[in-house]
Amino acid sequence: MLICADCAYKSLIKFREELCGDKVEMLRTADAYIMILADGMGSGVKANILSTLTSKILGTMFLKGATLEECVETIIKTLPVCQIRQVAYSTFSILQVFRDGHAYLVEFDNPTCLLVRDGSPVPIPFTDRRVAGRLIHEARFTVQTGDTYILVSDGAIHAGVGQREMAFGWGWDRMAAYAAGRLPHCRGAARIAHDICRKADELYDGRPGDDTTVAVMQITEAQIVHLMTGPPQNPADDTRIVQALMSGDAYRIICGGTSATIASRELKRPLRPTLDFSDPEIPPVALLDGVDLVTEGVLTLNRAVTLLKRYTDSAGPDDSLYAELDKANAGSRIARVLIEHCTDLYLYVGRAVNMAHQNPDLPFDLGIRQTLVDQLKTAVEKMGKRVTLTYF
Amino acid sequence: MTVTICIGSSCHLKGSRDVVARLQSLISENGLDSQVQLSGSFCNGRCDQGVVVTIEGDDQIYSVLPETTEMFFQNEILPRLAG
Repeated sequence: MLICADCAYKSLIKFREELCGDKVEMLRTADAYIMILADGMGSGVKANILSTLTSKILGTMFLKGATLEECVETIIKTLPVCQIRQVAYSTFSILQVFRDGHAYLVEFDNPTCLLVRDGSPVPIPFTDRRVAGRLIHEARFTVQTGDTYILVSDGAIHAGVGQREMAFGWGWDRMAAYAAGRLPHCRGAARIAHDICRKADELYDGRPGDDTTVAVMQITEAQIVHLMTGPPQNPADDTRIVQALMSGDAYRIICGGTSATIASRELKRPLRPTLDFSDPEIPPVALLDGVDLVTEGVLTLNRAVTLLKRYTDSAGPDDSLYAELDKANAGSRIARVLIEHCTDLYLYVGRAVNMAHQNPDLPFDLGIRQTLVDQLKTAVEKMGKRVTLTYF
Repeated sequence: MTVTICIGSSCHLKGSRDVVARLQSLISENGLDSQVQLSGSFCNGRCDQGVVVTIEGDDQIYSVLPETTEMFFQNEILPRLAG
């Protein structure tokens, strides 16, 4: 099973400071998600520089395949030494989750990672070892769909210290219980990070005594969508494009009458067009066994792209956009699948010029498939999903 | 008898939706629902003749526009049913 991770974080800056001394670095490679949280010693500019250096060095070296020993050694040698304390210091945590579900977690002096599984905090099996003279905790394990991993800086654990009944602050256990209790009410990593930060801020009475950061990674199952559009430039590739569309476990979409006809011929299954016009501008869908959605080509794609662009633009989605997405026309259906049920999109695009569309009398330029595909790719990537484009 | 209307991109832009709607209402006004079925088809590459309409058992392509739908119905559909 292929997993997918939703990652987000939020920070509170220490009261009266302008810069945050915590830094989160979120990276993605072809086969893994990496989330790094560094907390620089002190606060303000100095802490910010320490944590930024630490998280960037870790991220860059990790990506290039360096060992943990090499990373830690480089950090120790690189960080500027504090003139008052005579040490260079930044804590860090690194959570690396591979798409096959394997995970690697390493922590140096940060509060330990909280794992919430099936509604409750679950301990992670750590082992200790010394790296370049420093004690670090390490864990290798397998994630499950639905797992939530929460990294926090000590500012969260210390929230409310000295105030009211919390002499030693919020504490890890209480923070963990709170987070576990809130999860059913918070959808998505960003919402969870926001919620825990808000609670910490409340405990601090709106005046955080330390930089406070919550970084969240939620594990979901990958939802793969295959979308085929356009006939291949060379008809000899018809078989290959249809095989690509039908491969693996995916939601399958065909955009284009000619493409659908090719798929019908290759699959030896009948293509049954319908006459359900639910939107005057969008031609009806067709039915083809084994393919989840068969639509007309560029008019429908154009509608889907318009909706996706509205969804990703800076103003964000509003009620009227959601109403549009819920409609039954093929353009809305494509946009809805790509927004709500897709983590990985595979585009199989044929580049043949459709002679039928080279007609100057038409009120719409039907030869814009290429442009639409590019815009679709950009919009879907903007939503943080992976897009793989293959031409035929 | 099945009448097939192209719903491909080009024919759509030339008004195939209107052609379908007009044929549907002409068929029901004349009480022919049990005798005439409408079906959609994708592009057959004859877009220059759009909206492309074909009648079952007949190789001819009829080029029908929303404003000529009634004429098509009178000249091509009704006589076949009478015959």
